[in-house]
Amino acid sequence: MKKYIALLLGVSFILAGCGGSSSSSSSSAEGGSNVLKVYNWGEYTGETLIEDFEAEYDAKVICEYFDSNEMMYTKVQAGDKYDVLVPSDYMIERLIKENMLQELDLEKIPNIENLADGVKNLEYDPDNTYSVPYFWGTVGIVYDKNNVTEAELKAKGWEILRDTKYAGDVYIYDSERDSFMVALKALGYSMNTDNEDEINAAYEWLLELNNTMEPTYVTDEVIDNMANGMKSLAVVYSGDAAYILSENEDMGFFMPEEGTNVWSDAMVIPANAENADLAHEFINYVLTYDASYGNSEYVGYASSNAEVLEDMSSEGGDYYENEAYLPRTDNPNDEIFHDNEVLRAKLSELWIKVKAAK
Amino acid sequence: MKKKSLLSSKIFMLLLMIFFYLPIIYTIIFSFNGSKSLTHWSGFSLQWYERMFSNSSMTEAIWYTITIAILATIISTIVGTITAIGLSKCGKVLRTAVERVNDLPILNPEIVTAIGLLMFFSALGLKKGYLTMLLAHIMFCIPYVMLSITPKLRSLDPNLADAALDLGATPWQALIKVIVPQIMPGIVSGALIAFTMSFDDFVISYFVTGNGVNNISILVYTMSKRVNPSINALSTVIIIMITAVLLIINIIPIIKERKTKK
Amino acid sequence: MKQFKTMAYPYIAWIAVMIVAPMLLIFMYAFTVKGNSVTTFRFTLENFINFFSDAVFLDVLKRSLIIAIVTTIICIIIGYPAAYIIANAPGRKNVMLILLITMPTWINMLVRTYAWVGILQDDGIINSLLQMIGLGKIKLLHTSFAVILGMVYNFVPFMILQIHSSLAKMDKSLLEAASDLGANRVQAFLRVTLPLSLPGVISGITLVFLPAVSSFFIPKLLGGGQYVLIGNVIENQFLTAGNWNFGSAISLIMAVIILISMYITKKVDKGEDAKGGFAK
Repeated sequence: MKKYIALLLGVSFILAGCGGSSSSSSSSAEGGSNVLKVYNWGEYTGETLIEDFEAEYDAKVICEYFDSNEMMYTKVQAGDKYDVLVPSDYMIERLIKENMLQELDLEKIPNIENLADGVKNLEYDPDNTYSVPYFWGTVGIVYDKNNVTEAELKAKGWEILRDTKYAGDVYIYDSERDSFMVALKALGYSMNTDNEDEINAAYEWLLELNNTMEPTYVTDEVIDNMANGMKSLAVVYSGDAAYILSENEDMGFFMPEEGTNVWSDAMVIPANAENADLAHEFINYVLTYDASYGNSEYVGYASSNAEVLEDMSSEGGDYYENEAYLPRTDNPNDEIFHDNEVLRAKLSELWIKVKAAK
Repeated sequence: MKKKSLLSSKIFMLLLMIFFYLPIIYTIIFSFNGSKSLTHWSGFSLQWYERMFSNSSMTEAIWYTITIAILATIISTIVGTITAIGLSKCGKVLRTAVERVNDLPILNPEIVTAIGLLMFFSALGLKKGYLTMLLAHIMFCIPYVMLSITPKLRSLDPNLADAALDLGATPWQALIKVIVPQIMPGIVSGALIAFTMSFDDFVISYFVTGNGVNNISILVYTMSKRVNPSINALSTVIIIMITAVLLIINIIPIIKERKTKK
Repeated sequence: MKQFKTMAYPYIAWIAVMIVAPMLLIFMYAFTVKGNSVTTFRFTLENFINFFSDAVFLDVLKRSLIIAIVTTIICIIIGYPAAYIIANAPGRKNVMLILLITMPTWINMLVRTYAWVGILQDDGIINSLLQMIGLGKIKLLHTSFAVILGMVYNFVPFMILQIHSSLAKMDKSLLEAASDLGANRVQAFLRVTLPLSLPGVISGITLVFLPAVSSFFIPKLLGGGQYVLIGNVIENQFLTAGNWNFGSAISLIMAVIILISMYITKKVDKGEDAKGGFAK
């Protein structure tokens, strides 16, 4: 008996020692100056981006991942220190409001001139004081060309999602933000409205959708499912749609005239970053042609780098004739999300009511 | 009569095993899928394995998951056993209080425990990483261990321990040689459950870790955004590792028997 | 023997720090509401009132409890016979079976649940087989059936482990005595084996029911987004809505309900109060 306990304790100490040392070696073995902590979306970087950066700058990059802005926000506001974050537009707005970001020293990011026109002068940070765009896109409808015609889509816009002809054949994104956006746009309102009547009208719109269309609420399963042609209609992010279209030629992508959400994810440096200098280098590096190309090619989202965007969508490019790759910039009804705390809570509550309704 | 019941129990166990292993086999098959899909088969390929092995964050994650799970299991089993035995000697009020507190990590949604610990560690100024993950795992494993052991303790025959003392054993000897062997099934099942809870944990681990320390669940969760069968490859590797351990556990006694027969 | 009780003290100190302190934070969140931007707290029952006054939330809570109860019952129905068979198996087979039962739980829950999605979906394995035989497709995914299947799959090993540890090393002489006294096998089971295994069943129920009520991932994936359980609501409040106060309040409500129901269940097991066994 005693032998076993001794054995167990011995094993424990060895493991604890290994664990402690391996975690410290993977963090600050070279001292603080060459370690970069990046907190990014899962599967959002090109296959070799991190390794290439590490090699070129003789640095060690520690990557952590999140799968929603709110998840990221929870850890950041609890005090966890990162050097680079890649939040979405509305979250950046919030972080700026709460003084959690530091101003960028644009002289350290000369490659900022590579930015595509579509991501310049964005409402939440027009002068790139705090952020540098990374990926951008829109939200639209992926449809099965065999079952749905473009004429129908043009005629109905977002309302096609409530066309009972397609009952049971629709995927709706399980996100209150995106679903209310769809409803508000369908009704002709702003997606950022805080007018109670408009919000209630959107709620009723969604409620009717839920009750008459038997929609399936999904998140990322929609990508795989539509690539396999499981339903006729789905609300999808443009980058994911680009992937679906490249895998399944029967699928098309449509953005209603009534307007949609144009979003962007951008790199920012938190106020409490420990290695701001290296963070600047990283941001600058991402904007180079090769790095941006690698990112866009692997992930499928529209690059913030003008040349890459051009090359990808023109002849010979991976996403040539893939209507979901290049976001549109000419529709005045398209909007960016703004951060609104009151709205956030209200929409959350209403969304649960929509889904739970029988 | 006996033969009939033997057959029906065999059929029952067989069906149960099929039920348990259907998803496992499915996972293994799809780890060899030629396309990215996790649900539609399109030909045999080893690409996900290549990807997995060249991905250092995956191999690191395996290491972290295993070491934390083993450490947490060992520590929580020892502490849980000692405490359960000690607690059984305490007054009813104290015992009930501890049991209720122990219920909390089990009944709370993991996000609640996770946020509570996140804020708590931050308030203490603890740097998040390996240590905080380990502490959190020990914290939620011990209640499971105690939950497994306490019923066994209650059904113990008190006379045996007393008899041991009467025969001249020290309390320590009575503990080790009489009590512990009798509650051993509870200790073992507690340890198994603790290991499972730690190995598989995502939410709590996610919020209390830092410094790039990820475990398998965190990787699986954050990588499943864009449909990644490397996860299935990862799982298959784990299945192989576990099967190997199982085989070893079963072969060693056989080898021992052969040796003693000689 | 009494000196053993000091063995419990270190752990009691630990839980005061590691379990109670974080819970106090949650408690505090539940009874306060955030001020406009800075976190100025004011004590209020607002969160609780919001919850109870909304029929949708109550409905969700009710549904979660029902699913959890059904899952627990099915786990007992499957788990008890399994544990019984394993406990009566000879030595090494016993160990093998236990390990075989536990091993699937070491494979990541996400991975196993995704596998079920693949198996149950409209063109998954089961439906493909049905089509081959000539029967039509059945909608299996995104139903209550799928959610309960997924939950049972996830939790039944724990139930088996708990009941098994009660049944194992049970004093066989008690059964012999019973048959000597004229009991047949059924009677012996009902009056000897079953009561003695009850503690294991109770702790099995604890291990299944508690996490089942608060689970969110399995309902999300197998039930579809429209399958909203209380765990989903809480997760949503903490992560998406960012309303920790409301989320904490809902968890407290859930915790109280669960603790009450566990209390009632334990009353069934009269052994708690009776003297006997090692714990006096």
